[in-house]
Amino acid sequence: MTADTISAVFVSGIVLASVYALMASGLSLVWTTLGIFNFAHGALMTLAAYVAWTVSDAAGLGLWLGAGIAVAIAAAVGAGILMERLIVRPFYDHRDILLITVMTTLAAMIFIEKGSQLVWGARLKQLRPIVPGQVNFLGTTISAQETLIIVLAPVILGLLWLFLRNSRIGRGIRAVGQNPNAARLIGIDVSRLFIITFALSAALAGLTGVLLGSVRMVTPAFGSEPLVKALIIVIFGGLGSLGGTILAAYLIGLLEAALIFFIGIYWAPSMIFILLIVVLLVRPQGLLGKVVR
Amino acid sequence: MSEAAKVLEVRDLHAGYDAYDVLRGVSLNVGSAERVGLFGPNGHGKTTLLNTVSKVIVPRKGSISFMGEPLAGLSSRRIVERGLIHVPQANTLFPDMEIMETLELAAFTERARGERKANLDYVLKLFPRLAERRRQQCRTLSGGERQMLSIGVGLMCAPRMLMLDEPTLGLSPKLKEELAIAIAGIGARGMPMLIVEQDISFVLSLVDRMYFVDHGEIAREIDRGSDVDHQEIMDMYFGEHAAP
Repeated sequence: MTADTISAVFVSGIVLASVYALMASGLSLVWTTLGIFNFAHGALMTLAAYVAWTVSDAAGLGLWLGAGIAVAIAAAVGAGILMERLIVRPFYDHRDILLITVMTTLAAMIFIEKGSQLVWGARLKQLRPIVPGQVNFLGTTISAQETLIIVLAPVILGLLWLFLRNSRIGRGIRAVGQNPNAARLIGIDVSRLFIITFALSAALAGLTGVLLGSVRMVTPAFGSEPLVKALIIVIFGGLGSLGGTILAAYLIGLLEAALIFFIGIYWAPSMIFILLIVVLLVRPQGLLGKVVR
Repeated sequence: MSEAAKVLEVRDLHAGYDAYDVLRGVSLNVGSAERVGLFGPNGHGKTTLLNTVSKVIVPRKGSISFMGEPLAGLSSRRIVERGLIHVPQANTLFPDMEIMETLELAAFTERARGERKANLDYVLKLFPRLAERRRQQCRTLSGGERQMLSIGVGLMCAPRMLMLDEPTLGLSPKLKEELAIAIAGIGARGMPMLIVEQDISFVLSLVDRMYFVDHGEIAREIDRGSDVDHQEIMDMYFGEHAAP
């Protein structure tokens, strides 16, 4: 194996990992705060990519790409808030909220997926890259857009971390996730913070969608496909730990790229799952998860 | 006592869980700068009463007013904004947050943010142990430290009145003593307080007046000055025929 192959595997792994990290941290945020998994998270990505395409592609409105991205993220946030109101909020006081929202968010995922197939058709679409051209990264040539994803992911996740750690609303979000009753008694509007959390997570989904939409082909299943992996990453990293999620995203992205190189694209996913199962047998709480007594 | 002097006034309060009524017509009041105790056996409605006042649960009947204004229809958040602060029993707070973070966060409402610095200085002076452990996570605190932080969190909310639910539950006599001094110190600043306690000698040392809660009702009101002796209180608590 030459240095070139190592570098090629590493670089493609990092690209994959960055996408996973952006996706999984949005999922993780909602899990930690509301205690539910949003299966429609990937569908929000898809929606954002299609909206951005419609606004900015020559076959659509043909506007400036920046406008497309802005509208797309706004659309994802809007859809996220709507989802929280319609299919999550009614079940907050229900003791089976986790199972019920599995169903409702799965339904929303199918709704958005099939809806976008109706609206945008089955033909593959692709967004224009934010930054055009190729870049040589560690001896491997990749598109400038992929480089942008590699650079932007840690920046966005870092900002998210700072927000949760230092801002009043960010700390409030953590508090609500850890003890909603105690949060209420210090004057926090719990349901408002739930909406903000959902909106933030949807914004992350939207951003991931528009970044990835020029690297991969946008199809109705564009976001749902990586969602399964993002879910696994959240569990693998340790439920309730954003740091664990991010660490797991990078590990699994790199691992997946290596497995694809060594054993091929068909067996790589099953190998990843087997490895995850083994790890979870030894550490059921995930990499950085805390043991819940 | 004149109407204006009453900080908290509860009238004919009914509340409970599901089909079960825990409170059956409780009426009580707390005057300005007055410390009032609530005592009585477990499961007779003391905690439910505080939960109803802070709107953790919604009353079925009756009225609550704070500083002359009715609290009907207000959410927990609005009640905190008005300065009526409930420090719940055995509050685990936010397990993954550090002490300082928690205290800073607790000044969440706009009014509390305005007083944040002064209140933080006071809390850290009142409980130096919290200042020593400022970077420690809530989950790793001992029972006594957690209780101190709970009260500290209540003080950070910029209270105009504090409701403390069993502030010394499960603590050693030494820690109880420490907390009693702190609570007396808060009271000495003129803070009206409603304190739920099982430990009768503890509560007697802190309050001006007491209500004995029995079967969801106020069975008796006891002034500190009145000549109710210890044995009589024990009788109320355990029933008339309890051995001395």
